[in-house]
Amino acid sequence: MATLTLESLGKTYDSGASAVRDVNINVADGEFLVLVGPSGCGKSTLLRMIAGLETVTDGTIRIGDRVVNKLEPAERDIAMVFQNYALYPHMSVRENLSYGLRNRRMAKAEINRRVDEAAKILEIGDFLERKPRALSGGQRQRVAMGRAIVREPSVFLFDEPLSNLDAKLRVSMRGEIRSLQKRLGTTSVYVTHDQLEAMTLADRLVVLRAGKVEQIGTPLEVYQRPASTFVAEFIGSPAMNLLDGVMQGHALSIAGASLTLPHSHQGPVRVGVRAEDLRAAPAGTTGGLPVHLRYVEELGSQRLGHFDCAGERLIAAFPSGQALSDEMALMAPPEALHLFGADGMRLA
Amino acid sequence: MVENQRWLNVLAHAVLILGVIVVALPVYIAFVASTHESGAFMSGVIPMLPGHNMVETYSAVLRGGVSSQISQPIWLMLGNSMIMALMIAVGKIVISITSAFAIVYFRFPCRGLAFWMIFITLMLPVEVRILPTYKVIADLGMLNSYAGLSIPLIASATATFLFRQVFLTMPDELVEAARIDGAGPMKFFRDILLPLSKTNIAALFVILFIYGWNQYLWPLLITTDPSYTTIVSGIKRMTDVQDGTPMWNYIMAVSVLAMLPPVAVVVFMQRLFVKGLIETEK
Repeated sequence: MATLTLESLGKTYDSGASAVRDVNINVADGEFLVLVGPSGCGKSTLLRMIAGLETVTDGTIRIGDRVVNKLEPAERDIAMVFQNYALYPHMSVRENLSYGLRNRRMAKAEINRRVDEAAKILEIGDFLERKPRALSGGQRQRVAMGRAIVREPSVFLFDEPLSNLDAKLRVSMRGEIRSLQKRLGTTSVYVTHDQLEAMTLADRLVVLRAGKVEQIGTPLEVYQRPASTFVAEFIGSPAMNLLDGVMQGHALSIAGASLTLPHSHQGPVRVGVRAEDLRAAPAGTTGGLPVHLRYVEELGSQRLGHFDCAGERLIAAFPSGQALSDEMALMAPPEALHLFGADGMRLA
Repeated sequence: MVENQRWLNVLAHAVLILGVIVVALPVYIAFVASTHESGAFMSGVIPMLPGHNMVETYSAVLRGGVSSQISQPIWLMLGNSMIMALMIAVGKIVISITSAFAIVYFRFPCRGLAFWMIFITLMLPVEVRILPTYKVIADLGMLNSYAGLSIPLIASATATFLFRQVFLTMPDELVEAARIDGAGPMKFFRDILLPLSKTNIAALFVILFIYGWNQYLWPLLITTDPSYTTIVSGIKRMTDVQDGTPMWNYIMAVSVLAMLPPVAVVVFMQRLFVKGLIETEK
């Protein structure tokens, strides 16, 4: 168990390209931190720097009180679960689990105790003697996690561990990872590009963009108060609607409608509104956005309406059974609107 | 693509049978010749069926009862060939797998240059560099020794290249997992790379053993001491008869015996051999 501290961490490749810039994160003991972002945002690089698989060019990484910048991965007291499992194909499951422990010259009895315990937790006891080739994807994933567990490390690192599984298995493994981490209480850093995975797993989310931290917060904070249009569009499904508008004092004019907002600003803004915050109203309602219905997606529990609003796309979520017409208006309470400046950063 | 037309089947079989005949007929004739009297093949009509002299010929050859014809006991020559072929095969594998390991997994200055230097030696087989190599071996006092027989043939760009390709297919994550598991470079090599290259090593061993066994020019050149004669050059020496005709039945018997060890290697390692050539999944 330990804290993990990243201080002005940066990575610049020999070619001059910078993958990670000025990252400052404190991970509390036992916390589950999720790094999320689109591909190429530097999240995997960041994780690999913590693991010691990539060199650190700027800043420091601390695990507990120890600066680990220059330590080999094996000396950092971490364990990593890889996307492709990275099990040793010629070793049985038991050998896969115990290999790292044997390399540390741990006593045989202790190795066996740990392997058996991990096997019990993960329910892989029945195929300890099998080779990875004979296992299904989900079983391999468990073995890969078992390999991390037996080391009893200070920090778990997960590099998109679920992305090779089918959708159904992914959901159940997600739950298992979460409950396992709570049970073991081990500090964890988890990388994913799947915002839903990030939302459901994280104690805290770090949204990364082009190697820099865009926002850090609990999943709800990030969802309810996105720091930028980038985060607003990335977190949440369907993505937050963004429309161009102009503010003059407290008055916002947007797509032919005008609203009065609690906060004031001068100039052009991007206005964000979540699909579930929009309500249907008859066409011509004052304060409503005039929209044209393009098509409807039925999800069973709700229906998603896709609209045209003055040339921009808009998605709104309604309870199932809500009647929709071709020409109508959408209303949003002023407090549900997110305002972003021309640079994309949150205004209020 | 599975075509199931009759004439295609017939054609396929015809081609295969023709191929087998082309390969097997000379071997068969060698065997037939070894079972006849020594003069039978000089009589003008080549016999196509085995004769009655098989037992006598082979027992004479094996017991060394024809020492006037065979310069050295056949067991000695077979032994020499075996030692040379094994040293070449094992030496080539050991050297090329370690150099491929260095080239693929270590970043050192002039790494690309080192690889290309190795690669260029592909253009320099023994026959091309035979004079300088002979000079070097002679100056080192390695004429008439097993070391002299095998060491100049051990360096192998082909095998290095093959292992390089094998190592390049190993997923990077495996290397990283091993690093996290605390395996240093040599431990990774021994515990993970070697076991995973097992089938490739076996396939290469088969090819290299046969290559070593069939060496002719080099052993002929550097061994003057008859006790280092290999079986292949021994057969050649048997045909050099000062007066009279060569004893073809004995020569053919020795040839047939000389074929057996490579055949045995292929037969026993066939499964691993095929696996090593076609297996891609790691």
